[in-house]
Amino acid sequence: MQKTRIIVGLGSCGIASGGRKVYEQLQLGIDSRGLDVILEETGCIGMCYNEVLVDVVLPAGNITYKQVTPKMIDRILDEHVIAGNVIPEWTITQEDEICLNKQQRIVLRNCGKISPESIDEYIKQGGYKAIEKVVNGMSRDEVIDEITSSGLRGRGGAGFPTGIKWGFAAKSSGDKKYFICNADEGDPGAFMDRSVLEGDPHSVLEGMLIGGYATCANHGYIYVRAEYPLAIKRLKIAIEQAKARGFIGEHILGSDFSFELEIKEGAGAFVCGEETALIASIEGKRGMPRLRPPFPAISGLYGKPTNINNVETLANIPWIITNGAESYASFGTEKSKGTKVFALAGKIQRGGLVEVPMGMSLREVILGIGGGVAGKHEFKAVQMGGPSGGCIPSSLLDTPVDYDSINQTGAIMGSGGMVVMDDTICMVDIARFFLNFTQNESCGKCTFCRIGTRRMLEILERIVSGHGVDEDIELLEKLAQSVQKTSLCGLGQTAPNPVLTTLRYFRDEYEAHIKQRRCPAKACKELISFVIIDERCKGCGMCIKVCGVKAITGEKKKLHVLDADKCIRCGQCVAKCKFEAIIKVDRW
Amino acid sequence: MVKIIIDTQEYMVDESATILDAARSNGIDIPTLCHDEQLEPFGSCWLCVVEVEGERRPLVPACATKVRDGMVVTTKSKLIYEARKLCLELLLSDHYGDCLPPCQMACPAGVRVKDYIGLIAEGKYQEAVEVIRQNNPLPAVCGRVCVRPCELACRRNLVDEPVAIDFLKRFVADWEMGNGQQLENSSQQLENSKKVALIGAGPASLSCAYYLAGMDYKCEIFEALPEPGGMLRYGIPEYRLPKDVLDKEIANICEHGIEVKCGMSLGRDFTIDSLLGDGFEAVFIGIGAHGSYKLGVEGDDIEGVLSAVDFLRDMGLNKKIRLKGRVAVIGGGNSAIDAARTALRLGADEVILIYRRSRAEMPANEVEINEAEHEGVQFHFLSAPVRVIGSGKAEMIECIRMELGEPDSSGRRKPMPVHGSEFMIAVETVIAAIGQVPGSECLVQEQGIQISRGKTIVVDNGMGTGRVGVFAAGDVVTGATCVIEAIAGGKKAANSIDQYLQGVEITPEANVFNVSKGSLDEVNNLEFEGVEKQARVRMPELEIEKRLKGFDEVELGLEQVNASLEANRCLECGCNAIDTCGLRKYGMEYGVSLDRFKNGKVHHYLIDNSIPAILRDPNKCVRCGKCVRICLEIKGIGALGFVNRGFETTIEPTFGKPLAETECDSCGKCVEACPTGALWGELSIAK
Repeated sequence: MQKTRIIVGLGSCGIASGGRKVYEQLQLGIDSRGLDVILEETGCIGMCYNEVLVDVVLPAGNITYKQVTPKMIDRILDEHVIAGNVIPEWTITQEDEICLNKQQRIVLRNCGKISPESIDEYIKQGGYKAIEKVVNGMSRDEVIDEITSSGLRGRGGAGFPTGIKWGFAAKSSGDKKYFICNADEGDPGAFMDRSVLEGDPHSVLEGMLIGGYATCANHGYIYVRAEYPLAIKRLKIAIEQAKARGFIGEHILGSDFSFELEIKEGAGAFVCGEETALIASIEGKRGMPRLRPPFPAISGLYGKPTNINNVETLANIPWIITNGAESYASFGTEKSKGTKVFALAGKIQRGGLVEVPMGMSLREVILGIGGGVAGKHEFKAVQMGGPSGGCIPSSLLDTPVDYDSINQTGAIMGSGGMVVMDDTICMVDIARFFLNFTQNESCGKCTFCRIGTRRMLEILERIVSGHGVDEDIELLEKLAQSVQKTSLCGLGQTAPNPVLTTLRYFRDEYEAHIKQRRCPAKACKELISFVIIDERCKGCGMCIKVCGVKAITGEKKKLHVLDADKCIRCGQCVAKCKFEAIIKVDRW
Repeated sequence: MVKIIIDTQEYMVDESATILDAARSNGIDIPTLCHDEQLEPFGSCWLCVVEVEGERRPLVPACATKVRDGMVVTTKSKLIYEARKLCLELLLSDHYGDCLPPCQMACPAGVRVKDYIGLIAEGKYQEAVEVIRQNNPLPAVCGRVCVRPCELACRRNLVDEPVAIDFLKRFVADWEMGNGQQLENSSQQLENSKKVALIGAGPASLSCAYYLAGMDYKCEIFEALPEPGGMLRYGIPEYRLPKDVLDKEIANICEHGIEVKCGMSLGRDFTIDSLLGDGFEAVFIGIGAHGSYKLGVEGDDIEGVLSAVDFLRDMGLNKKIRLKGRVAVIGGGNSAIDAARTALRLGADEVILIYRRSRAEMPANEVEINEAEHEGVQFHFLSAPVRVIGSGKAEMIECIRMELGEPDSSGRRKPMPVHGSEFMIAVETVIAAIGQVPGSECLVQEQGIQISRGKTIVVDNGMGTGRVGVFAAGDVVTGATCVIEAIAGGKKAANSIDQYLQGVEITPEANVFNVSKGSLDEVNNLEFEGVEKQARVRMPELEIEKRLKGFDEVELGLEQVNASLEANRCLECGCNAIDTCGLRKYGMEYGVSLDRFKNGKVHHYLIDNSIPAILRDPNKCVRCGKCVRICLEIKGIGALGFVNRGFETTIEPTFGKPLAETECDSCGKCVEACPTGALWGELSIAK
């Protein structure tokens, strides 16, 4: 009979939710009870909103507990593991399961299922079969053809067809070639690549091996940001394991193909996600994009032909080789094949990772799978594609998620971040927020990106503080278009997107800030005041307690008074008041 | 070779060329700041953008785009022009420096102050005067009476005290009068040269005539009063501007073939029509502002109530005037001070100056106010006359106390009478110095000359009046103001007259392109922390007792040694690279606006002068990276590198050290490459 297994979700999300303590408590409980149970860890399954997730795998079936805390461990062990009675109120709901089932998991096929630190579990799921198939029976051209006909496009953001990219590198002549995995995932609110690296690192290694074979590269780099320590740790373990099994090294699986692999830790510059800046960074230079052509396929790392693919792209590769290009291409739309992983974040009910076939509507992804906006607020917009992306309004929720449709909205697919915003979010302020990020992360090379984004930011700061002037919108738009047109790399070319899309879909909000000094979402601090509604105030004193500047006074059970001059509009009192007695009003 | 089309013209060019190479080799100019032929294309400034037909992107950098057979390139279009202009405006919005020295910018006549002070420091006095004369033909006059806006703007104010610019000007002008070789009369009056008539012989006309004469025009000045000089002679007292100095300076100007006819009054002896009928082909009006306002109170017309203009003119006319008892001067401007100090010298027992605001609001020069005080003038601030009392002759003046209210349209606080605070002062003479107006009555008959409500002549920005061929400048245009304004106006008019007489379009000089660090209160004085303090030279002055005995000049002039010391106090503001700076060159070419992003953040960095041969001023850096690349790729040293990100990106020596602590061998290649004044080979001599 199979042993009982207990699996704890220990991706970064699980750990952040207290997964380590849950794991320790389980270990203690198992030991003290003398149970013959296997305790394992796994990566993120995508339901980050339900972490810590604990799977109890009994011969009778697999039960997943959600939001587990150490206090819950005794009951789970005693009632479920020992007595065999599931605790229904703690398990994930049917809705959670439906959401999982609506997904199509290719990239995330093993995430949250296998132990990322066990090569055996990867192999058990069919891992390293693809590289075996490739080195033992496929020519380089066949591999490239297979990937090309799968329709896979680069998942890092630009969406260039992967097979064609490989073809360039393969054709390029050179005594040495490099194959780089771009794991410099830098978008705020995006964590697809991290989850794959933490949950299924071998799939990425196998993708690189296949790519290395196809492009004749014998040296690989994984450029991963140093802020991803768990991903780095698991990658290192995976590399060691793969070397020990002969998947990495000389004459892989007895073939002529040899491949060495190194990890290069990035220092967290957003622009190093741009391939020429990434190459410069590996070479030990300042991470600064350079002009293309020459493209890396011709002259890349150390001047040698180089191919760069993103983590998610590579994780698709073994699946395509194993299941065939046709199976892959059966998912998605005409021009965007396969699936895409999205990181749902912001004001969303079920935040986490989802993988869906290309072409599913935004509505289905956000409202269906993601459960819509959390709380009682209304959905307003979704920022797609990270800080370089754009804000898509609710009127365009039926847009299918594919490269071309998303581009038409002014946003970009990007790496797959979806930051959901409700009606408490000011769209001018959100444009300011994202632009602040990109302008700080500009490498400073191009005039427009270095100074232009700064001047744009200054205009936005002026507007949200109520000091905007009529000409600001025009100047902002002019600058935004110029920065787009006259920047060298993708960072500058896309940095104005949040501004341009909010100007396109939410221009009235800009105008309200400038013409009426009013923030329609009541989010911009300089433009709002807080007032206490007399009838609602119960005099409970909670607001007085949280107010850091002593702006609220009043005796217990008597009406409280808010001094608008002292108030710094931090919003703590509003959040704390149970009676909704404190509201935001227009200040001017 | 491949065939490409640039701006509809076909060219055969090498297939390895970039668009920039191809354009340049065919004489088509494309601006760039970051490109250097010794280096690989870098593509950072984005100034070289052009349009290429069929390209995915609307604009491509010419420096980095290789030509292709059949390529169709456009280098001039609205899109390109606007992109380049915006690019320059962005670069200039974070460019902290002074193109031209603030003193020169502050001078209405644009006198090249830094240059002449440098020449004084080097002992090249004759050259120094010549530099001044390029913009100001009255250095000895201005060296004495100028209101010195240059000194107010002098950056040395942030160290200790401003450089004594005006004293230095007087020093060289006096030196020239004593020792120098007067400028040779270089203008050979051609028999057939065109004739210009100038009405009034004040500083505006003298300046206009001087520059016209320099352009070979035959100038005749018509002056109503007995001698030339205008307000210099009939408004400024002898103790400030001795008549012999004025005479010499006017004589010097007139040596250039200028004829002055005195005692000729417009409207009485001639008209503009008669001048034009007499063979003059252009007329300049510079009749000044010799009229005055009456006090406007009861009794302001009885004997013993004078206007300062009349009083000072009588002095200039050498009329014998004796004063006794108490003299009250009304007003707070320079004329009031001149009248008060003159009255003291004429034997008044006591001189009081009555001003309706407080000392802080007085428009007179601080120095003049102090001198008046030293000499014994008493000040009655916040007081205004209500009436003058006397039977046949002034005996008492009744005043009322004032208090300052809200600021008025001039920005100064408006004086308001305090009810019931009237008081009396016994006086024998009252001198009203409450403003001057042009005596434009003589122009009323003239056709086409538009007179404003303030009685000034209305001119266009080329100093042209409404009448073709008739120009005007000086106080008659601006209202009573300072000498240097009149000189500047006269010169501007001379240029317009020249263009008019040549029959070309009159194009007044546009405002000079100038990046400025800002006014003194906008500049952090920490910038000058390293400058050694050195007190400003003091002007030797006549002792008070000697002064009051007559009209001897009060200021005695600088000694040579002190002039030399003072000249060395000059901080030499202004950019060394002014003639080579690409940003300035293209900024002018593309007509950029310097204040499009005026409220944005501007970086202020410390200047690195740790290496004698290289002055590194990151405030002017455009981050083109030429220096970084040259130092690394050509020299193999790499003393400089990019640091920080985003707007904070800058170029610094290794680990932020001073250049002297890096591997830099002072080869100067970076200086040669720098498109602005961010890297400059420091001068080896002191000045």
